[in-house]
Amino acid sequence: MKRIVAAIALIAVLPALAIAHGPSRKKEVTTIEINAPADKVWELVGNYRDMSWHPAIAKTEADPGELKKEVSKRKLTFKSGAVFTDTLTRYEPETKTIAFLTNEEDLKTLPVEGYSSTISVADAGGKSKVEWKGAFYRGYMNNDPPPELSDAAAIKAVAAFQKEGLEALKAKLEGGK
Amino acid sequence: MIRSCVNMAAALVAAALCIAPACAGGAREAFVTSQLADSVGVVDLATMKKVADVAVAGRPAGIAMSPRGDFAYVTAPEGNELIAIDTGARKIDWRLNVGKGPLGIAVNPKSGAVYVANWYGDEIVSVDPGKKAVVARVKVGRAPSGLAVTPDGETLLSADRESDALSVIDAGSFQRVGEIKVGEHPFGVVIEPGGKRAFAANVVSNDVSIIDLAARKVVATVKVGSRPYDIAFAAGRAFVTNQASRSVSVFALSDLETIATISVGDYPEGIEATPDEKSVYVSCWADNVLQRIDPEKLTVEGSAEVADGPRAFGDFLR
Repeated sequence: MKRIVAAIALIAVLPALAIAHGPSRKKEVTTIEINAPADKVWELVGNYRDMSWHPAIAKTEADPGELKKEVSKRKLTFKSGAVFTDTLTRYEPETKTIAFLTNEEDLKTLPVEGYSSTISVADAGGKSKVEWKGAFYRGYMNNDPPPELSDAAAIKAVAAFQKEGLEALKAKLEGGK
Repeated sequence: MIRSCVNMAAALVAAALCIAPACAGGAREAFVTSQLADSVGVVDLATMKKVADVAVAGRPAGIAMSPRGDFAYVTAPEGNELIAIDTGARKIDWRLNVGKGPLGIAVNPKSGAVYVANWYGDEIVSVDPGKKAVVARVKVGRAPSGLAVTPDGETLLSADRESDALSVIDAGSFQRVGEIKVGEHPFGVVIEPGGKRAFAANVVSNDVSIIDLAARKVVATVKVGSRPYDIAFAAGRAFVTNQASRSVSVFALSDLETIATISVGDYPEGIEATPDEKSVYVSCWADNVLQRIDPEKLTVEGSAEVADGPRAFGDFLR
């Protein structure tokens, strides 16, 4: 009985935790140079409907219809089974910039909340320079977070996630050379 | 002759300075909380150059000015402190533990009382800067963020982010006398010049709730960009920072029709107009700049580099 009560109490608390974060947002910027034309790189990273270029992502399910910033949403299923949802916040093919912001996260996969990504591709003399700017909160609402939900844990996880993505993108585009 | 030339030169310099947008009836300096750098930068608005940095531990975020501009009051959410900076000396004058996660801050224009919203404590504290002590506390909704005081100094509003509501607090008795439901996750709240209406930026519903203060009711909702954060008023217009759209939405105060969307630096957050309404300054968290917007031309006219993670949440001009 006690256990059931505890379980119910936990369920009641969970949705509140999922929307609550601390007041200090962090940044992490990851860049890479890819030996491929910017158009080719943009074809992959600019496609909101398919994030499979990132090795952690197993499936992308985006809203059908025209892509509209602040409207189009998608569900990302990680290879671990975790699910994130996000909203397209910027979509600028002319400057090769895309940005999206998470609505739902899985703290075991990435201990962050409100994770915003801005990915842009710039021409670098026939090659490309890709920049991934992350802005995010740690996944713990209060001062003195446990180590696994600390700022340091969030920054470390995001840095690894962005690096893994950009390195895979590079490998994919430069593959066979 | 030489003397008169010097005088003439001085007069010309003075005239040139007063043509500068930030001068006549305006503000001279911006105090920008750089949260990730643990500092508050002082930007000279005539030259748009940072002229000083004041080290402030505890991830400074919120800011408000004393009525005479001689003190900047800063919140440090991770240090649980209110910090008073002597604006002339550019030094911390005093600091006070106020409770859990202080974020939003406002000053009563009549009494000079400093109000701080404790994000984790779900309460607003009233600090007497003369006594340098907390003199009252009041419970509000969950995760209070922005604060605003009516021009008559009688009413304080808090944006209770996780409660989707504003709390109405009587400044005299420091009692919570009402709650007004607004959009999803209100963060910044400001009161229109004249004191009749309040505007709340709703981070999750991507809109601004407009509240009639006498009726304590939302009378209109205006759609803006993604993740609106804070609001300023100038030239009969509202300027709203859209963090995730890298833009400022502009709409008319008369008919609430959208006039423009101005591209600014990345993650625009704190925004404030000068008293003469000739300049609007916006702090861009991701790009580490303070930008000046011309509220008539609706263009970005200048940019100053500041330290990492500028938020400037509140009143940061003097």
